[in-house]
Formats: sequence, structure tokens, C-alpha cells
Amino acid sequence: MATQTTEQVPTAAARPPAKLYKPKADWANRALVLWGILVFIFLFAPIVVIVVFSFNTGRLLVDWNGFGFDGYQSFLDNPAPREAVKVSVIVGVFSAIVATVLGSLAGVALARRPGKWSAGFLFFVALVLVTPEIVDAVALLPWYVTLGNWGLSAFDNGWVRLIVSHSLFSTAVVALIVRARMSGIDETLEEAAGDLYAPPVRRFTQITLPLMMPAVLAGALLSFTLSLDNTIISSFVQVQGVTPWPVYVFSSVKASLRPEIAAVSTLMFMLTLVAIGLVALVLRRGGDSSSDIARTMTGGGG
Amino acid sequence: MTMTEAPEETPAPAAERGPKRSWVPRSLLAIPAWVWFVIFFAAPVAWILYYSFGQQVDFFTQIPDVSHPNFHRYTEAFNPSYFPTFKRTLKISLIGTALCLIIALPFSYWLAVKVPQRWRGLMLGIVLVPFWTNFLVRTIGWQLILSPDGFMSSTLQHLGVIHEPLGLLCTQRGVQIGVVYNYLPLMILPLFVAFDRMDPALRESSKDLGASRWRTFTQVTLPIAMPGVIAGMLLVFIPLMGDYITAILLGCAKGSMAGQLVASQFDSTLDWSLGSAMAVMLILFILVTVFVFALIGLALRAAVRSHRKVTLVDVTSDGGK
Repeated sequence: MATQTTEQVPTAAARPPAKLYKPKADWANRALVLWGILVFIFLFAPIVVIVVFSFNTGRLLVDWNGFGFDGYQSFLDNPAPREAVKVSVIVGVFSAIVATVLGSLAGVALARRPGKWSAGFLFFVALVLVTPEIVDAVALLPWYVTLGNWGLSAFDNGWVRLIVSHSLFSTAVVALIVRARMSGIDETLEEAAGDLYAPPVRRFTQITLPLMMPAVLAGALLSFTLSLDNTIISSFVQVQGVTPWPVYVFSSVKASLRPEIAAVSTLMFMLTLVAIGLVALVLRRGGDSSSDIARTMTGGGG
Repeated sequence: MTMTEAPEETPAPAAERGPKRSWVPRSLLAIPAWVWFVIFFAAPVAWILYYSFGQQVDFFTQIPDVSHPNFHRYTEAFNPSYFPTFKRTLKISLIGTALCLIIALPFSYWLAVKVPQRWRGLMLGIVLVPFWTNFLVRTIGWQLILSPDGFMSSTLQHLGVIHEPLGLLCTQRGVQIGVVYNYLPLMILPLFVAFDRMDPALRESSKDLGASRWRTFTQVTLPIAMPGVIAGMLLVFIPLMGDYITAILLGCAKGSMAGQLVASQFDSTLDWSLGSAMAVMLILFILVTVFVFALIGLALRAAVRSHRKVTLVDVTSDGGK
């Protein structure tokens, strides 16, 4: 881990100045490269395993039998996982819409009119981000039951529960992303539009919205992937009949793992890859550096 | 990216106040999100706080009776059948956070400093792929790798590395591998950002002034990257404390964690008061640990500063921007 060099005592006279900024292929650098490769292998090992095992023709996932598309076939034949994927995608889309609208508005307000209120708001956002998922999950379940008992029957609906629950964390993330982008953009453009008698709505749609678009799109796609990933909250608040995909997988893990789980996982993995690719593309076109993209992807952390 | 032709005399401060033409004050735009958080975050959390002072009515009633508020559920959560789980969770999380830091520190440094600029974006994108792959899927992948009947086990036996089936699944070590894996990207990314934002001139001048590479790393690079290290530790530690899915999948029944304890009160035993008290305890555990480590960190920093002749305070505030 420690890349310590002891023989590198510099003797100023012996070192030609031109060599200073060239990367040197000494053992410390080689150790770093090796470490980098090992970490990449570690990061991708289980994913590669899942993709490979999705072509397993055996009855149980863990016993490799032979190569084939049986897993994919049984996914197509079996309505339960198909239904679960459908639920996940629909919930993902709607929770992304809710989170993007709420988060973008809040992000604009944070960037443009920071004041005493914004410290309180950011504190709230931070609380939402650091609360462990299980706490949100066990808090939301009795809350929905209570709201239902108070006559708000919408909260007995599985779709509403999932969409609202998934949108919470994402709203916080989108607010931070949009805030980061808008505080980097001068307000003079919007003011100029105002000086030229653009009505506020037009000023928003023609100036502000295009400026914040990369952040909004990135936020929307991130919200979508976060929703697809959500397991703990979903398994608590879900209502019979509206089961999202991760909850379906989780319940089948407890029974026995079949290759079709790996097949669906592989398909969902492809979907996630496309989503990430789109985010990166949007951000790159928006002119973010790779470091900015990393910040965005972690929800403004760092 | 956005080029604004700012007049030379006034660079226009971003948050300038003054009479605005807009008929809606734009701070009001945050109100919908604010309301959303209050209704679906603050209220539910307050609700379980309230429940945690109540008691279970009977085995079939979920809604607790809070007519005589008391702390009994908290003392119950501290009893020997539950408390060891909290301690184990804390241990797994602390070790997990430390391992993530040890693995990610050289890796992020390499990615942000040594990898050529034009490859960096792509490599970072590749690191993000597992991060955005479904949590369950990745963990199931590990289940396949660690399984005693799996390909890894048979390959290793074949090669003679081990002489009996791989015994990692359903052990605490298996859980530890899984959590390190699952939270590693959350450590890599903030560290990468911290190293990437640092001005290379700082490291170069340190070397020009005769510092060895190790000394440059510990006394220049690392202090500047400290905000990233802290962010990474928080990003790993906090969700790790609440995670129990990894423990269920890789630790089977044995390696249960606090999150599972909370969950089972809500979905199997239906003792919502006890579950609420445990959830509150989990949050307190996290806050106290973070607080203690923050104090240790501050003390360490003070100790290091008093020993060092030259401080990098000014450099840090410049380079951190």
C-alpha cells in the first residue's frame, strides 16, 4: 500500500531538469499500476460472473451445466419477473420526474437566492442523504399506514408509495446537482433577458432552462437508476401486486437462485450502462470535466 | 463553459441582491421540495421517534400504544440478545471503512495523477459501472464466487491452493468482503475528486525543494486531499451501518447486522415500538461514532500541526477550491 521510496534522495546536480516532469517507470509507479489493475479486477469480478452465469443452462444458478439461453427464455416465459421489471421501470420513470421537478426548482432557488433559509434547507438535504435506508424504510411504512387511516387512501396504493419513497433521496441529489451547475453560471444572462422585456415565464423557458438542462437531465437519469436499485425501502412499503424487480430478486434469493435471475440482471445491467452512458454524454456536452462528472455521479459528494 | 461577456469593471457577484422584476421571489421555488421533505422525511422519522416510547399492544397489532411514554424499549434494545448485533455492525462498518480507504487511496491517486489525462475520463466511467450496477446483483455475483460449490472453490481445489471447499460464504469474513466491495466506489470517487483538483505544481515544488516522494505524499498531497478522505469515510460508513442485505446474502443467518434487527421488528415480530427504538439507536450509534472520530481527527491534526514547522494552511484553502 505504501509506495515508499528510500533510494530517491535527490542530488540536485545529478538530475537533468528536463527529466523532472516525465513520469518515471520505477517500481513505485509500477506498483501503483498493478494495484490499479487489481482493483479493476476486484470491481468487475462479480459482474462478469453474473453475466457469464446468465448463460448457464443448469437448474440452479451456482452449478454450471452448459452454455445456453435457457435463463433468458424462462424470463420471457415467466410473467412474474417480467411484471417486476415493468413495475421497476414505470416507478423509476415517475419517481425521476417527481424528483427532477422538485429538485431542480430547489436547486435554482439555492443557487440564485441563497439566504438564511438555504442553510436550513441544505441541512435537510444532508439529513436525507445520510439517513440509512433502513431507517427511511421503517419510518415510511407506519407513516403510509397512518396516512391511509386518516382517509388519504392514495397512500394505500403501491404505485404511489413506491414513487413517493424513491423520489425522496433523488430530490436531494438533483437539488445538489442543479445547484452546483447554476451557481457556476452568471445571472447576468437572465437579467439581460429581463431588461429586454422578456416576461418571467419566457425568461425561464428560453434562458434559465436551457442553461440548467445538462444538470436536469443528469439528475433525472441518476434518479431513474437510483430507483431501479432501491431494495430496502421498496421491500417495506410495497403492496401486494406491485413488486419492483429488486424485491422480486431478493425474495427469490431466499428461496433458490435460478439462472433466469442472472439473465434479468444482465438485461438490467445493460439498461444501467445505457443510462450511465447518456449521463456522461450529457455532462460532457455540458462541458464538465471528468472530476465534475464524478462529483455529479456521487450526488455532489466530495 | 458558459461564456458570459462580463463587462471589465464589474464582474457581477453571483448572489447580488436588489430590486428584481420577477413577481415571484425565486426562493419560493424551493418550497415544493421543502414540503416534500417535511411530509415524507421529517414527519415519518418523527413518527417512529414517537413510537419508540410506546409498547406493543399484542402480537397481532402493529400500531403501538403510546399512552404511557417510557424508555423501556431502549433498555430492551440494549439487552444481551440485541446489543451484540449493534457492536458487530459497528465493527464490520469500521473495518469496512478502513479497508475501503486502504484500497481506494493508492487507486484514486493513480487514477487522478498517474493515468494520462485522455484515459482518465474513460477509466473513471469504468469505475462507475459497478457503482451503478444493482446492489443485489453484485452481491449475488459474490455469492457465486464465494460459494463452496462454486467455480472458484473447485478451481482453487483443483490447483491445490485449498484442500477443502471454500469456506467464506456464510462467515463474517464473507460479509466483510461483500461490504468492502459494495461501498468501495463511494470511497474511490471523492478521493479521485480531491486528488484531481489538486494543483500538480504543489507536488512538483515539494519535489524541487528536495522532499522525497513519501514525504511529498504524506505532507503535501494527503493533507490537501483530506476533505476527500473525510467525505469518503462518511459516504462509506453511514450507509454501511444501515446495510443488512449484504449480510443476509453473504453471511446467511449468522452475520446479521443491526439493520436486519430493525427490519425484523417491522416485518416479522411486528413490535413497531422496539423496531423504532432500534432505528433511533442505530442513528445515535452512527452520530456518536462520527463525532468520536471527528474529535480524534481534530486531535491528530493539532498534534501534527504542532510538530510541523511549515503549515500548509494557505495552500490548502487555495488548492481546495
